[in-house]
Amino acid sequence: MATAAITAPAAKAKAPAIPFAGRFLRVTHLLFLILVGAQFLPDHASVTDAHTPWLIWSAVGIEAVTIVASLAIKKKEGLDLFLDIVGFIYGFLLLWTLLTAKLALLPAALFPPFGKILAQGAEDAPKILINIKSSVGIILQGFLLALVTAVPLGLFLGWNARLGSAATYLSKFFSSIPPIVYIPYGIALLPSFRSVSVFVIFLASFWPVFAGTMSGVLHVDSRILDSAKVLNVSKPTMLLHIILPASLTQIFLGCNQGLSVSFILLTSAEMIGARDGMGYYVKYYSDFGDYTRTIVGLLVIGIVVIGVTFLVNALQKYLLRWKK
Amino acid sequence: MSAAVALQPLPKIEVKHLTVNYAERNREFTALRDVNFTVEEGEFVSVIGASGCGKSTLLSVLEGLYQQADGTITISGEPLSGTGKERGVVFQHYSLFPWMTTRKNIAFGIAQVRKDLTKKQRLEIADTFLEKVGLGEFGEKYPSQLSGGMQQRAAIARALAMDTEILLMDEPFSAIDAKNRIVLQELLLKLWEDGCGSDGAKKRRSVVFVTHDIDEAILLSDKIVVLTAHPGTVAEIIPVPFERPRDRKTLVQTPGYGQFRNRLLSLFYNDIAERIGGEEVVL
Repeated sequence: MATAAITAPAAKAKAPAIPFAGRFLRVTHLLFLILVGAQFLPDHASVTDAHTPWLIWSAVGIEAVTIVASLAIKKKEGLDLFLDIVGFIYGFLLLWTLLTAKLALLPAALFPPFGKILAQGAEDAPKILINIKSSVGIILQGFLLALVTAVPLGLFLGWNARLGSAATYLSKFFSSIPPIVYIPYGIALLPSFRSVSVFVIFLASFWPVFAGTMSGVLHVDSRILDSAKVLNVSKPTMLLHIILPASLTQIFLGCNQGLSVSFILLTSAEMIGARDGMGYYVKYYSDFGDYTRTIVGLLVIGIVVIGVTFLVNALQKYLLRWKK
Repeated sequence: MSAAVALQPLPKIEVKHLTVNYAERNREFTALRDVNFTVEEGEFVSVIGASGCGKSTLLSVLEGLYQQADGTITISGEPLSGTGKERGVVFQHYSLFPWMTTRKNIAFGIAQVRKDLTKKQRLEIADTFLEKVGLGEFGEKYPSQLSGGMQQRAAIARALAMDTEILLMDEPFSAIDAKNRIVLQELLLKLWEDGCGSDGAKKRRSVVFVTHDIDEAILLSDKIVVLTAHPGTVAEIIPVPFERPRDRKTLVQTPGYGQFRNRLLSLFYNDIAERIGGEEVVL
């Protein structure tokens, strides 16, 4: 019987178990101990608001998460990468502690002790959450609006060769206009800052997603199309079950591009004319010379963007799991 | 039409005076010239020829993908127009859709011809055909997780599960290594000889099988259409005289096999020799 000739493709070699020493005796953990130890050095005479316990407990928190995570990570490369990143964070915090609270080598107004940043962040947490909600809400609304219009339109125009090539030129023109210059017009056109922001985010995301979808459709392997044609698929099936999944990689490229432009745009816009949002938070407090809160704002924006990027990447990985 | 003619069974596929001209870079050349042959109900016909003889063009015309051909082609007496649900196709590459698991690929194929079945029924049929081609355990794998040979098994399973009257195969085993190619040829031979319709019917399909492998053609076919190149014309149509069921080992020991093979080989190589002697060689 022919079945006998079938063998599974060579099963992935199982990763060898990481020994205890390789898992836990690492420079990262040594750095943690040095970092915590350094906190017990006396503060510089001029520093009165170091909030050292905040830094110590945060470091302990990071370390606890690190230990749990390093138990869960199976591959050596993954563990190395993770521990290296945590190591960099410890190193950075140690350097910051020494230069600010302990030796006061940097101007205190611009470089507050890290404990103070953490304490301030915790104090402002409710306010910050409202601002995050506002920023992320606007981005989601504008971006999703772009997604549900750009993808179907791109699929349709990409599939209709003649309309498609006209649309390519038009989209080149429109996407070459930096979306930020739409803001004054948007303000005249729309009633609130929020609606203007959604409008601008929509424009900023629409063109990359549209262009990505079009180019995805135009570059579908002709052999795949032939294979679908000989199955006699209907037009809707062709678009939804063949062209759309075949273009997904390029669509995601457009999405990532659109999202990163959106964050830049929104935070800039918030610094100009908003009453809430993360850009507003940073701008507002830096106007008062409150650089502790400015730094809090910068860090929070970084964390939010990383978080959103992570989610999008996870979705992409799931939807494209059929790729090698 | 007289009664006598009506009693004559219609050929499943009839190709008459098929000519295909290509225009490329403002230069026109003829890929196929005046090609004539028929495929009867339940007949396995191979089309062989050296590369560039237009055998793949011929198959694209039959698939309905290439439509600027002159001449007439009829399927069960009806003129061919475009792609059709009565024809299943296996390509050399990318018959399967990479984003569907193998069983979804097969169920998707079935869905295009059997709207009356539920999703569950289609998946069940898919599973039985995966069993038949020896991929029972690989239903949830994506094509990229399978070897080339396994992908072709799944493609054959889909074409069979769709239960089309006609099977068009465009060098399906050319990209497979020699050892697996033999296994796949025998699998196809067995499945075809068994009939194996989706409802268990034992009805042999009409097959057009394009290949450049002479042994493959002899093993599988009832009839071999030999094409010569520049332009692609039919050099000869040769019935294969060996009895079925066939298997490779007994076939090669059958008296007359060597002679038959040599005849095909000389047709094959005469064509090449003539071209090397003439001016049409493009290197």
